[in-house]
Amino acid sequence: MNSHTGEYSGEADPRTMLVEGPFGVGKTSFAIETLFTWLSDGVPPENILVMVPQRTLAYPYWEALRGADYGPLGSVDVRTVNGLAKDMVNIYWPLVAGEAGFAEPERGPHFLTLETAQYAMADFVDRAVENGEFDAINVSPQQIARQIVDNLGKAALMGIDYRQIPDFLTGAWGPDRPRKRVLAYQAAGRVADAYRQYCLKYRLLDYSLQIECFTRLLRLPDFREAFFGARTHLIVDHVEEEDALTHTLIRDWLPHLDAALLVYEQDGGYRVFLGANPEGGQALARDCEGVLTLSESYFTSPGLEALLDEVAYSFNQPGSDPAPEGSDLAFDFAFHSYYPQMIDWVADRIDHLVHDQGIAPKEISVLAPFLSDALRFSLGQKLDQRGIPHVSHRPSRALRDEPAARCVLTLAALAHPEWGERPPQADVAQALQLAIAGLDPVRAALLAKVVYRPGGDEVLTAFDRITPQMQARITYVVGQRYDHLRDWLVTAAAERATALDHFFSRMFGELISQSGYGFHDDPEAGRVVAELVESARKFRQSLYSDQSIDPIEIGRRYFTIVRQGLLAALYVASWRDEHADAVFMAPAYTFLLRNRAVDVQFWLDVGSVGWWERLDQPLTHPYVLSPNWPAGRIWTDSDEVVRQEEMLYKIVSGLIRRCRSHIYLGLSDLGEQGYEQRGPLLRVFQQILRRHPQPVEGLEVSRE
Amino acid sequence: MTPSGPFAHLDGERRVIDSSQDSMVRPGQLPPLFQFSQNSLQDYADCRRRFQLRFIEGLRWPAARSEPIEEHEQFVNHGVDFHLLVQRHLLGIPIEKLAPVENPLAEWWDAYLHYPPPDLPTTLRLPEVQLSTPLAGYRLMAKFDLLAIDPGERAVIVDWKTSRKRPPRDQVLNRLQTHVYPYVLAEAGTHLFGRPIAPEQINLIYWFAAAPTDPEILPYSADRHAENRAYLEGLIGEILTIDDEIWPLVEDEFHCRYCEYRSLCDRGVRAGSLDEIDAAEEESDWDFEWDDVEEIAF
Repeated sequence: MNSHTGEYSGEADPRTMLVEGPFGVGKTSFAIETLFTWLSDGVPPENILVMVPQRTLAYPYWEALRGADYGPLGSVDVRTVNGLAKDMVNIYWPLVAGEAGFAEPERGPHFLTLETAQYAMADFVDRAVENGEFDAINVSPQQIARQIVDNLGKAALMGIDYRQIPDFLTGAWGPDRPRKRVLAYQAAGRVADAYRQYCLKYRLLDYSLQIECFTRLLRLPDFREAFFGARTHLIVDHVEEEDALTHTLIRDWLPHLDAALLVYEQDGGYRVFLGANPEGGQALARDCEGVLTLSESYFTSPGLEALLDEVAYSFNQPGSDPAPEGSDLAFDFAFHSYYPQMIDWVADRIDHLVHDQGIAPKEISVLAPFLSDALRFSLGQKLDQRGIPHVSHRPSRALRDEPAARCVLTLAALAHPEWGERPPQADVAQALQLAIAGLDPVRAALLAKVVYRPGGDEVLTAFDRITPQMQARITYVVGQRYDHLRDWLVTAAAERATALDHFFSRMFGELISQSGYGFHDDPEAGRVVAELVESARKFRQSLYSDQSIDPIEIGRRYFTIVRQGLLAALYVASWRDEHADAVFMAPAYTFLLRNRAVDVQFWLDVGSVGWWERLDQPLTHPYVLSPNWPAGRIWTDSDEVVRQEEMLYKIVSGLIRRCRSHIYLGLSDLGEQGYEQRGPLLRVFQQILRRHPQPVEGLEVSRE
Repeated sequence: MTPSGPFAHLDGERRVIDSSQDSMVRPGQLPPLFQFSQNSLQDYADCRRRFQLRFIEGLRWPAARSEPIEEHEQFVNHGVDFHLLVQRHLLGIPIEKLAPVENPLAEWWDAYLHYPPPDLPTTLRLPEVQLSTPLAGYRLMAKFDLLAIDPGERAVIVDWKTSRKRPPRDQVLNRLQTHVYPYVLAEAGTHLFGRPIAPEQINLIYWFAAAPTDPEILPYSADRHAENRAYLEGLIGEILTIDDEIWPLVEDEFHCRYCEYRSLCDRGVRAGSLDEIDAAEEESDWDFEWDDVEEIAF
């Protein structure tokens, strides 16, 4: 074995191999090299499957496969296991639908998103809330629905009956804690059961039912033989991010394959909330004929290697030693009293890096435990002022928070008086301002004030019916545009039986994207409205295609849940965003799973407990609802501390490994919400600074 | 001991791919993961500006393509359902589990069973296969509804068409699909055929649900292959050399009636009627939707 490439142990001529190592040692590169070796050896491309835990991790494979320098090619499938499962269930639905208990199995399935699943569950949750069944917990009905949907998915991944979930949670809660929580678990169980029966009746397949149907298919001998036989070569990248069910699938599959390569990232396993089971991923090494361990980082500088040592030592990692005295740790730390000062500091530093040091914007990432709209907006504005391009990743931003979506929704409410919705005057003013070109906020407010008649026979008054003085103030050009908009909405209101997504499309194409209107040349508005259209269409088609409900009523229900903030924008950072030459702003988790290294990272809010704390989810539990947790064992406070320390170490070491040159740490005494910040990550760096004193902007640190 | 077999490359020098280094999106250029297809080339042939907006700028513009939208949506859904039904059949799901009850799916299914494409090779029946080949510095891909192959002897491409009318032959011949599909199979189908495929061994069949007894059967040839290569290479070469800020708009504004970007280009207000669209264009519209579905399914 060539020592340059790592340490190999196992059979001389392995058929299956696991390659392991931390980020940046060439594991995925080795996997891609393996893929092309197989193709060169004549393995039919259709026989090769590459599995990744999420879409962004497929990019290196797609890039390699789509390069023109490799010759003619068949289709190498690069998929997530969820995508594969959904496809299999869709294609082989006739084999599984009846046995799985779906009504009218001869008709097709409807696949639910997380949002539509929550909506399908909402009525059952609301009833339970009204009955006081969830009084013991202080979370919204939407959060309750989300956690129950999550529990169903976890049960499917654990391979247990979803009705056992309350028992698992009760066992971990223990007998000495307040009994009310157990009653809430039981209520959640009843809601889950009612929701499941509803799904079976209307053939609605949420994530849990997709996984259960896929598992059921795999038990059919013919399907199993065909499925395992269709692929002879398998690559699974990031097995540590996969769940226990996927690990079982891989373990069952390995004996059937001509070759398999599993890629395991040490210190990974960030997707615990999605069922990631890093221990199970590493255990797959025992099922492989060889293990290749890579350790030489191609990215991290000596200064960051020293920082890694320091971090490991601070977290008491086995075998860790602090960096030698005098080490040049590649980080800077700046302390500020107030949050906006920290944002100014970040913008100034980035300005210096880009304009004075020539670092490409795409080589800089700004990371925080959460990416709030305020942070995104304020930092984005400051970078704009400095002429620095930036993109942000916003995985959970609600649709209603997008101005273009709010505009379209408000206009829809005006065109559907039968919904009984009366948008506030301020919303109407903002919608008019966005929709009509040349209308400034002051005139928009005036116009809304004089023409908007909520509850009147005519919701919007014609421009020629307002006073000439007011017409002159608003201008006649704007008045004409307003009248055209009003006429369009009145006509649309008369055409009753229109699905809301169709209404959105027509309004966008025929009205607000036309010349003289606000979205005429606005790509961002186009993107947001496209997401709205797609979201409304999925809502209608997946939940109501089998039910004879008036499209107007379906539209009203959709409007209601968007207004409640239940529906998130479907926004996924596209390859354009991912590959743009722009500063990338994201939550730390998102950046880690993007799996790319950058030259410079900024960590904001280093004092925030958000780097450490789990979300408060009283009805579910990522560690207890896992095959690794012994049923009946109580989850204690010390379990919580141990797990959160483990996760914080993973996050911090993972971020450092994804940096080539330097890390800037920003801290403000008072956080974004005005609270004092003294979280565990700050304490780690205080320890490091005591061992390796360095000038800290705005703070004095004494040597230990 | 040096490993061999599927990991014989283990002893080689490691290369590390840092994908952030060489895959940057540059304004005005095709994105890193882009590959040409019959859809994108057809868009270019129809309107260069449409190609620019859709593929260079990646602009999402949610206006209706044709009216009534409700019928357009049904048309797309029925097309997707039919392709899925046939795929299920070709993958061996028993026929008694597949009988659709609603029209037009039931009628199409009946037509498929009674009047399938004629004289198909029997050894290999591969539904939903994708192949690609390099051309002019990019990849050109084709996703086939069905490849029927007797290895070493002949290969037939079948494309299921669910447009409401059968298009005339000259329209079919002019579609980019007719050029791209046999070209890609001839270039990239060797591993399926067992040896290089001579163009003369390829047929392309368009099977029309609206006219199942009248499929369009298009034999392929070496001359046609050479013409196709020159034509497709020329098209891609042309695309790569355009550096206008706004690419030229199509002169015949009929296309704009069925294009979602019409408002952006100031080329009309309402979408064109589904009744007036020609069958080939109708199908092309549907094919684009299908690609969208594939992408979303990931």
